[in-house]
Amino acid sequence: MEKQRATLKDYGYRDFTVMNKIYQILKKFLVVFIIFGLYISIIVIAIQSLNESRIISEFTRLSFKWYGNIFQEEELMQAIKNTFLVSGIATVLATFLGTFFAIGLYALSKKVRVIWMLLNNVPILNADIVTGFSLMLMFRLLMVVFPNIFGLFTLVMAHLFFTIPYVVLSVMPKLKETDPNLMDAALDLGVRPYKALIKVVIPAIKAGIFSGMLLALTMSIDDFVISYFNTGAGFDNLSIWIYAVIGRRNLTPSVYAFSTLLTLFTLLGLLIYSFLQKQKKGRKNEKNNINGRAS
Amino acid sequence: MNKEFKVLARPYMVWLSILVFVPILAMILISISNLNSSVSVGDLVISFSHFKLLLESSTLIAFRNSLFFATLTTLFSFVLGYFIAYEIKLSRFKNKFILLTIVILPMWSNLILRTESLANIMSENNILKSILGFNLFGNISGTGAAVLFGLVFTYMPFMILSVYTALEKIDFALEEAALDLGLSPIKKFWKVVFPLSLKGVVTGSIMVFLPTLAGFAIPKILSRGRIVFIGTIIENKFVYTNYNHGALLAVVILFFILGSILLLTKFDKEGETLL
Amino acid sequence: MENKKPLIELKNISKSYDDETVVNDVNLTIYENEFLTLLGPSGCGKTTILRMIAGFIKPEAGEIIINGKIFNDLPPYARPIHTVFQKYALFPHLNVIDNVAFGLNNRSWEYLESFFGKDKIEKEAKELGDVSKKTVIRKAIKNLIYKDSEQALKLVKLEGFKKRKVDQLSGGQQQRVALARALVNKPQILLLDEPLAALDLKLRQNMQYELKEMQRNLGITFLFVTHDQEEAMTMSDRIVVMKEGVIQQLGSPKSIYNEPINRYVANFIGETNIIKGTYVKKDVVNFLGVDFKCMGYTFNDNEEVDVVIRPEDFDVVDVEKAKLVGEVVFSLFKGVHNEYEVLVKNEKLLVHTYESYEVGQPIGLTIDPYEIHMMKVEVSE
Repeated sequence: MEKQRATLKDYGYRDFTVMNKIYQILKKFLVVFIIFGLYISIIVIAIQSLNESRIISEFTRLSFKWYGNIFQEEELMQAIKNTFLVSGIATVLATFLGTFFAIGLYALSKKVRVIWMLLNNVPILNADIVTGFSLMLMFRLLMVVFPNIFGLFTLVMAHLFFTIPYVVLSVMPKLKETDPNLMDAALDLGVRPYKALIKVVIPAIKAGIFSGMLLALTMSIDDFVISYFNTGAGFDNLSIWIYAVIGRRNLTPSVYAFSTLLTLFTLLGLLIYSFLQKQKKGRKNEKNNINGRAS
Repeated sequence: MNKEFKVLARPYMVWLSILVFVPILAMILISISNLNSSVSVGDLVISFSHFKLLLESSTLIAFRNSLFFATLTTLFSFVLGYFIAYEIKLSRFKNKFILLTIVILPMWSNLILRTESLANIMSENNILKSILGFNLFGNISGTGAAVLFGLVFTYMPFMILSVYTALEKIDFALEEAALDLGLSPIKKFWKVVFPLSLKGVVTGSIMVFLPTLAGFAIPKILSRGRIVFIGTIIENKFVYTNYNHGALLAVVILFFILGSILLLTKFDKEGETLL
Repeated sequence: MENKKPLIELKNISKSYDDETVVNDVNLTIYENEFLTLLGPSGCGKTTILRMIAGFIKPEAGEIIINGKIFNDLPPYARPIHTVFQKYALFPHLNVIDNVAFGLNNRSWEYLESFFGKDKIEKEAKELGDVSKKTVIRKAIKNLIYKDSEQALKLVKLEGFKKRKVDQLSGGQQQRVALARALVNKPQILLLDEPLAALDLKLRQNMQYELKEMQRNLGITFLFVTHDQEEAMTMSDRIVVMKEGVIQQLGSPKSIYNEPINRYVANFIGETNIIKGTYVKKDVVNFLGVDFKCMGYTFNDNEEVDVVIRPEDFDVVDVEKAKLVGEVVFSLFKGVHNEYEVLVKNEKLLVHTYESYEVGQPIGLTIDPYEIHMMKVEVSE
């Protein structure tokens, strides 16, 4: 006897097959639209960097000359140098300090920690314009004592202010994940606390430190608003410089070339990173297999 | 963790206490006094005369613009960003890291430069038109649509990241349980997946809403100076060194932020979805 | 068994992942109102079968027939089946009672009308007001959902926990909520995927007893998956022993324990002795050099057989009266009984007895004819 097939209708459900097909088509359009929206400006920057003409409204001929020109543009080079100087100092300091601050905060009781974590999140959540403007006002009041305070010093301070919280925030979950007995085991073996910290805890949380560092660098390099209010003495980073030059409408296409190169390097770095990650996973699996067979 | 390490937090407590509170107190003080960079502390006079600024129509329009665009941007980012985050989660592609990277890669490029390029191709004669032969964006240069487009696609990655983080944490067994209990896939989404991802939506919304509300560079560049945000006014006051007015407006923005932080702590106590 | 109605029939079901066959041509009929257990080590395909019946996995070949209809293509939400998941899968954004009511709360009004029945709804609605109003009827249905949910919580002994948050419950309590959440929908079949695995021993034993009680009282078919043979023995009406995607033996706990069909089943179900022997002629078997009387088995005369004797089936007697004489080489006190390893003609036998012997002492053994079980010798690969 041929058995009957059960249908959705038998059990009081509508058949969504047609609707699902429509959604699948709609979905593709939406994905294309969003990718377009996210990438159009980067693509345009790349096109502008390959345009021979300095006039950005017309594509005349393909040329790589702006790439060669990056080093000849003095103002641009200065802005790039300033950006890397500020972000370099801020990132290194923020990573180092943020890691130890996070360990310190983690040692507090949970109640106290929650309060300080809330304060830690203020620079992240606070609007850049408020952070930038208020820091500027504080530094201005300090000008009474230190008249030449604005410049590299205020920039680094401001950048530290908003980068340390990111490091703390990425290290904290890793600390929570580490085995609470790890420290005790080290101490039990006669290692002094601070040595144990460096030998045992830091290696256990290094993934968090690394991602915190990347986050700090990203935030610092791309910052415009806070830097804009807190720079001085002509110490312009890339964002400030571009913002100023746009007003004068004579931006050199070498900026586009530089930005495109930076994007390509970032992409390359990420590809290498994910490739290494994959290899690491592969090796881990192999190890597990060997262990599995041995046991 | 060893209690001995508490001391490591102490410098940070000092640092945070000073840098979170002193600038804000300074800002509040400057907004209600004659204190300016040129005035010495001795002649300090408290006055609320600056508050007239808040009632000027240009200020009110700027507030309205900021709120309007911040709300719209958050809404669009939410709809589109949630969609992308959900599709990334559903994707059969194993390496989710690469998919997320595709979404956030543009953020590594300079914001001002990206916005300027967007403004370029939105104008009547532009480089894309000279290649394609037609205007991709029609003629929206300087309009609210141009500003909205720029804001949505600048800040959407924040929404995608926080929603994705929340979605990833949902145990797949819960979705199976919902199906098992008779919920169709659409109902399953609304009754289980969406409520459990709400944390991420709130965090993402705040991370989109606040920078939009307080921003000035993107609207200024994309509207060609036509649409004034509250940030635009603050920038002007800064350029013309009218710090009292600038501080007053920044204090108002601060109130919006405090409200948002309160909202966030209700949904996400330890800031798990912040990263 | 004969007059029972088949509820689920699996016909030639197969499933494989990346060339590895997990379920291989399985045929199984599950009847109304029985407690059936799929038993086997991890990776034997028992959970895959469960998930195919629930609808989470589609079989590659074969048919899943429920109530006489082919269910292969029906998604899980449309099946009259509910599952208790291994890690409970309670919804963290809902409290206990809302978790239990979740399934019914999300059904269509038409479904709920036939679920509760017109009479019951109208009776409930009369207390609320105008019966002709749609809102009143709906309010009545919602009331009934929560009444049923409370009833289900009572059934699992969690009445006082209605408003609790799920994460404030212990593992055992979460388990009960998961059970109530499935039972309140009055499924024809309840699937249980190792639901007791995460509980500690004492709690597990209590739950085993309660589950069995519940199944008997509610008249629902339970399909239970476990790797714990003791659990399977305690609760089941019938047990399916599986290995590498193939059913080894299907039968009552007693028959599986006493008459294992092959070495795999014999070893998996409790401790046992498997001894090489010869079926001499009808009702006579020879092993360890001695002829024994046996009953109920038919093989060819002088065929090689595997003899299965459970350790508690040996009778310990005086050496003079014994059919087998051996030496105690290892002893272990197990509380109720003593466990000995007895060396008989270079063969180690496991013996359980209440008598006490020292290591090195001689020991005499006999076996009743009905305690001697035999299996066909397997051709080893």
